[in-house]
Amino acid sequence: MEASESFESFVPAALASLGVEADETDLAVMAGAHALYWPAIVELFEANFAALPEPGQDLSRAPVDE
Amino acid sequence: MSLLDRPLGAQAQAIAAGEGDPAELLEQTLARFEQRNPALNAVIATFPEQSREMLREAPDGPLHGVPVVIKDEWPLPWRAQQFGASRSFAAFEPGESGVYRALRDAGAVIAGVANMHELGSSSTGNTSVYGPAHNPWDLERCPGGSSSGPGSAVGGRLVAAAVGADGIGSIRYPAAYCGVTGLKPTFGRSAMAGHHLAPVTTTIVSGPLATDAAGCRLLGSVLFGEELPAGDAAGLRIGVVRGPISEDCQPAVREACEAAIEALRAETGGEVTEVDPDGLDLSGIASILVGSTESVGAITPGFLNAVGDELSIVNRALLKYRLLLPHAAVARAALMRAHLRRSLAEVFKQVDVLAWPTVPAVAPPLTEPVVELPSGLHSADEVNPRGGGLANLTGTPAVSVPVGFGEGGLPIGLQLEGAWGSDALLLDAAEALERATERRWVDALPPIAEPLSAQEAEAAPN
Repeated sequence: MEASESFESFVPAALASLGVEADETDLAVMAGAHALYWPAIVELFEANFAALPEPGQDLSRAPVDE
Repeated sequence: MSLLDRPLGAQAQAIAAGEGDPAELLEQTLARFEQRNPALNAVIATFPEQSREMLREAPDGPLHGVPVVIKDEWPLPWRAQQFGASRSFAAFEPGESGVYRALRDAGAVIAGVANMHELGSSSTGNTSVYGPAHNPWDLERCPGGSSSGPGSAVGGRLVAAAVGADGIGSIRYPAAYCGVTGLKPTFGRSAMAGHHLAPVTTTIVSGPLATDAAGCRLLGSVLFGEELPAGDAAGLRIGVVRGPISEDCQPAVREACEAAIEALRAETGGEVTEVDPDGLDLSGIASILVGSTESVGAITPGFLNAVGDELSIVNRALLKYRLLLPHAAVARAALMRAHLRRSLAEVFKQVDVLAWPTVPAVAPPLTEPVVELPSGLHSADEVNPRGGGLANLTGTPAVSVPVGFGEGGLPIGLQLEGAWGSDALLLDAAEALERATERRWVDALPPIAEPLSAQEAEAAPN
């Protein structure tokens, strides 16, 4: 699905369901952001990597082998 | 050369040795603000009485009597932070932040508050409630964000060093654009108490921007509350990567960074190795997802509907969009974070630092922050996190070092990223690069900071 299609099918309805007002300018800016980020988000979902969480993650240190 | 125009370490040493008068230095700094800041808009608040009071009460410390500026992201006892905005989703009040206490206890003098991108939300610095800060190398260009004021103030030599904050590259982008050195510390090592996002953030750190690496080491040690010892980076193992992060750049940026990497290798007697951290290409989006949703709990539909024109159109809309980011994507980004941390841990068994351009292009125009790369035209905010987000996502330290000039005579920055806790080594490497290039890039002055000729000085108004 193209980013513009996913925007139209998702963003206005989600805003409405939360009661967030958005005018045409807001929607145009959000569409720009969506076009920028959505393909990368889809890529993130499709990426093939060992999706293992890191228990007790401490960002000040290297990960500790479980 | 006046004391004000010398690097941070030289200022501190001169004062400690009784060879420089800190009261005179503070007054010269305030006068410098009057002279240059109207063009730069780097400093958005001064408070001479409080600054003089800090100096009167300054203890003997590593920064005794040295003026610095601090980003509009921390409260001061006499001023609440504004976060570059007229309205935010958090309540701000004056107070003693950890950064303030660290500076005060080191004897530093806070001479002003530095501008920043509204809500810290962009790598460009082109939007602020105070109006944008300007790039000292070209006033029509972006200073970088979100620490736009610190970058512009140090680049324009209003001060020798400033405190910034880095959530997704926000110290390193302005450092690269403004031709200064900026350190993003290892997560959790530098002062963060009192920052309004400190209780929730896993990405933001305070850190120094300075005219050189030694200045970052000195101010960084103060912010860390521990010395960052100097070494020589001998035998430095430098990791480089192939792909967009180092290749989809303006040609001059790529050439300057490659030349700097070779100069660093030669200076340290080290080696260059090609590495391939798995997942690197997705570090940008993962850092954006993690970083932009950490504060989302404070953003409500009621706030968004009430904010009206108090925020820029872009930020108002982006906050609304941020509210809608799917939690599944954020959770996926968290898994990618764990994966990248493991990838980097493996890579840092082979190399000491990773090196690539801090940003792929020189500072874009303030009015249209778009950059032309081999892959086409991009918004700067689209491509900058590709090299900058990894350090925030994984918690690792990174430094941006000036390494040349590109299109329009604008500065180029090389980023060096190291393993957790290797902050001092990164500064060793930055200093080695300065030696290798005979300080050519760190001592270069933008037009606004060029000394006046005797004739010009005579003609200038008092």
